[in-house]
Amino acid sequence: MQAKIQQAVNQISKVILGKEQEIKLALTCLLAGGHLLIEDLPGMGKTTLSNALARVFGLGFSRIQFTSDLLPADMLGVNIFNTQHQVFNFHPGPLFNQVVLADEINRASPKTQSALLEAMEEHQISLDGETHALPSPFFVIGTQNPEHQAGTYPLPESQLDRFLMRIQLGYPSWQAEKDMLRQPQQKEVEKLQPVISPTSLIELQQQISEVHASDDILDYILRLVTYSRESEKFPSALSPRASKALLQAARSWAMVNNRDYLIPEDVQTVLPAVAEHRLRSALAEHPAQTSLSQWLLEQVDPLAA
Amino acid sequence: MVRLNPSAYNKAHLLLTLVLCISSFTLTEPLETWILLIVCCATIIRFSLFMNWQKHQISLRTLNLLAILSAIVLATFGWQLGLLLGMLNLLVLASSLKLMLLASRRDYFQLISIQFFLIGTGLVFNQNIAFSLLYGALTMMLLLSLAFHISPVNTWSGQIKRTGKLCLQAVPLCIMLFLVTPKLGPMWQMPVGKGGETGLSDKVTPGDLSQLARSSDLAFRVNFDDDIPVMSERYWRALVLEDFDGKSWQVAPFRERIRQRYQRTNHIFTPRTSGPGIAYQVLSEPSKNPWLFGLDLAVTRDNTIWQGREYQLISRYPLQSGISYRVRSYTQAPLLPDVELLDRRLNLQLPEQGNPRTREWAANLRQRHDSDKAFIGAVSNYFQEQEFRYTLNPSPMPTNAMDQFLFEDRAGFCVHYAGAMAYALRLGGIPARMVTGYLGGEMRGEEYMSVYQYDAHAWVEWLSENGWQRLDPTALVSPLRLEFGLQRAVEYEDSFMQGSALSRLQQLAWVNELRMLLADMDYLWSRWILGFDRDNQEDMLKALLGEVTPLRLALAGAALVLFTALLLAIYQYKHWLVIRHSSPAYYYHKGLRLLERSDIERPRWMGPQDFNSLVQQQQPAHVARQFDKMTRCYLRSSYETRDDAEQQILKKRMRFLLAKLKKALKKKPPAKRQGF
Repeated sequence: MQAKIQQAVNQISKVILGKEQEIKLALTCLLAGGHLLIEDLPGMGKTTLSNALARVFGLGFSRIQFTSDLLPADMLGVNIFNTQHQVFNFHPGPLFNQVVLADEINRASPKTQSALLEAMEEHQISLDGETHALPSPFFVIGTQNPEHQAGTYPLPESQLDRFLMRIQLGYPSWQAEKDMLRQPQQKEVEKLQPVISPTSLIELQQQISEVHASDDILDYILRLVTYSRESEKFPSALSPRASKALLQAARSWAMVNNRDYLIPEDVQTVLPAVAEHRLRSALAEHPAQTSLSQWLLEQVDPLAA
Repeated sequence: MVRLNPSAYNKAHLLLTLVLCISSFTLTEPLETWILLIVCCATIIRFSLFMNWQKHQISLRTLNLLAILSAIVLATFGWQLGLLLGMLNLLVLASSLKLMLLASRRDYFQLISIQFFLIGTGLVFNQNIAFSLLYGALTMMLLLSLAFHISPVNTWSGQIKRTGKLCLQAVPLCIMLFLVTPKLGPMWQMPVGKGGETGLSDKVTPGDLSQLARSSDLAFRVNFDDDIPVMSERYWRALVLEDFDGKSWQVAPFRERIRQRYQRTNHIFTPRTSGPGIAYQVLSEPSKNPWLFGLDLAVTRDNTIWQGREYQLISRYPLQSGISYRVRSYTQAPLLPDVELLDRRLNLQLPEQGNPRTREWAANLRQRHDSDKAFIGAVSNYFQEQEFRYTLNPSPMPTNAMDQFLFEDRAGFCVHYAGAMAYALRLGGIPARMVTGYLGGEMRGEEYMSVYQYDAHAWVEWLSENGWQRLDPTALVSPLRLEFGLQRAVEYEDSFMQGSALSRLQQLAWVNELRMLLADMDYLWSRWILGFDRDNQEDMLKALLGEVTPLRLALAGAALVLFTALLLAIYQYKHWLVIRHSSPAYYYHKGLRLLERSDIERPRWMGPQDFNSLVQQQQPAHVARQFDKMTRCYLRSSYETRDDAEQQILKKRMRFLLAKLKKALKKKPPAKRQGF
């Protein structure tokens, strides 16, 4: 199983060069069954990464490009009257796929954003009084531009909370970018082969829930969230949902690293991705400050008795 | 961007303000009124900043101006207050000005420490149980303010709990310090406050005691050893007034000068005593006056008390705080004058003018009665035969008071009667003087007797061959006053405690009981806490240790420290045990400490695995290898295993690994050859 994960990482590393840590985090997020938000400037490979992720899992993939005039119906689907049978037939929209790439999610109007986030939470949609279940597994990979860009509707904190992780790709290193430029002008992504089948994905998710979290680890997580609640430095504190997410993500990370128990480093690695967007809505708001989650990490002793 | 003022929502600042305000208002007597006003202003400013009604602090320029002005005022009016009061006023003024300015942490801590000092100062002025409790509460409020300063987001209840716990922990320490710190004598003398004096006065103009009679303040308490004299015998002598100027009676200046001379040369007067004596202890309330109280003929061995030659007891220090002293009274012993000639001369003095009708009347009476006794009898008869009335509300008598009292109004209270009687006797050539003090006293259960300010009384003494004789003209007019106290004597006159709700409240049984309970508590407080002096301390030590020797004291001290350590151990043992039991983690932490000593310290946020890789990079291989094993063992025990039985094995292994790490650290890395 571990080999498969490593294989997936290697596959994706072929298209996103020099970003192994971020790729692993993204995989971790999907294995943990959470939705992923990728935030970065245009042209950093957000779309490529999500596309690659869908391919290595061999899942049905669709992409919705969010714009300010996109309506919920464009995403969810519509009921169309069938004149032959005198009934309404439901025509599912692009959301009915296992991996949905919601590209530039903060360009859509709040109404559409809400519809998407509701679907993410409920794993089903309601239309004209009828409930339609979404396929399983169901992942949403949202991408967004930093919010200072023109024509964006920033996601409110309550909706950001729905994403298990938020990661940033950042500029590639000198060598990685050079390698990228050397690559032939081909669609590398399309050449990716699925390495993890949907069935083994479910198996993996099962294994994740069995990763052992000792008392010491739970205490450490609690110390972290409690610190964020008691200190004045954080605009918003970490909720119980956040501590649950932290544990789940850490388990998944331990799994990706082939361990069936948690150590403090697991929590520490996933914390920036899991907590940063819950502590503060956007990095862009406080550009001068360093990462809050990093600061939080440095305040809490993982080994304290 | 608007910068919030630092006091907005800052509970620490609000609490500090409250403490300053309350503690200043407990010191209304020594503090000047305008300084209290400034304190009020500072409080209001802080409060409005806290509530965000007002967003900006007073500008520094305004404050400087205010400070300069108040410094000038204090310098002009404050110098006659004396050093202590002047300094106290300055301190309160400065801290209220600082409070208006308060912005930085430094200001805050300065103010906090000044507040602690101010509370201590408050205890110099107010010592009864209510004030002590109040000051205790204020101290707690300050601690609470500090707690909020350190962690502002905590809740009220949490902070109160925490400070409460801290205070409780301090209680045993406080008791121990109270019991064992050496009690020093007063190091400075309290100056007299600016407020009006309650209690008796060394100058009595008829009309003065009217105000006194209405005061229900406590004057002193008495604890009789066995027999208690009857009410009408309980004449508590306080002051002897021998100088009469036609209007007021006062302590003779000449007598005062003699006393001061004797005191300087420490020429102590020992009265001649005879007959049985009654022993008792007097607990005096603070009164700012030096005179004390005793039944005739009172003798005390207390060397802080001066035995006056006119048989009064005088404290060597003003009673700024309550004192207690033991007295033995020989009720049957005659009050012989120390130097008869002097007593005679002093007590025959008469003003040259005034009160013509009284003079004429006395001269007539004297002609008719030859002997002194007959003359006194005739004067007494006059009081009995004429329609004299006892009242607390006499009409004012601005000129020729004696004439008006004796022949027109015929209404007054003890001072009027005593004054008139003594004057008449002097006119008749009999040495006579006025004595003021208290008459009576109320028993509080079996325990002790309380004497209140409304028990104040004045009577006459005349000099016979057998020494000074007491004569109470009030008794002739209003015998009830003697036997049942003032309350009965003026029962039909509502002047008694007019305006005070006490008389009405006393009719409610439970209010009365409550009053008694409070009085009892206050008594116990003064008796055991305030009255705990060096003698009591020595007694206690003796009772505990037998003979007090340095060795025993040292042993007792050591025992106390050990006992405290034991208590702490009991309090902490769970914590210690947990670490010892919990095992592998304990050894791992020990290993971390060992590494710290060889200069590799784990940043406190770092996880064990990351730290291990750091050690692998930075430490010599033989150390790193050991630590790697240790880390793996630790990870297994703390995070991996779910098996309790395995913990025991891991613990042993950890202990073994720790020993190896210790050895590895001791071993010097192979020295590098130093080339030339």
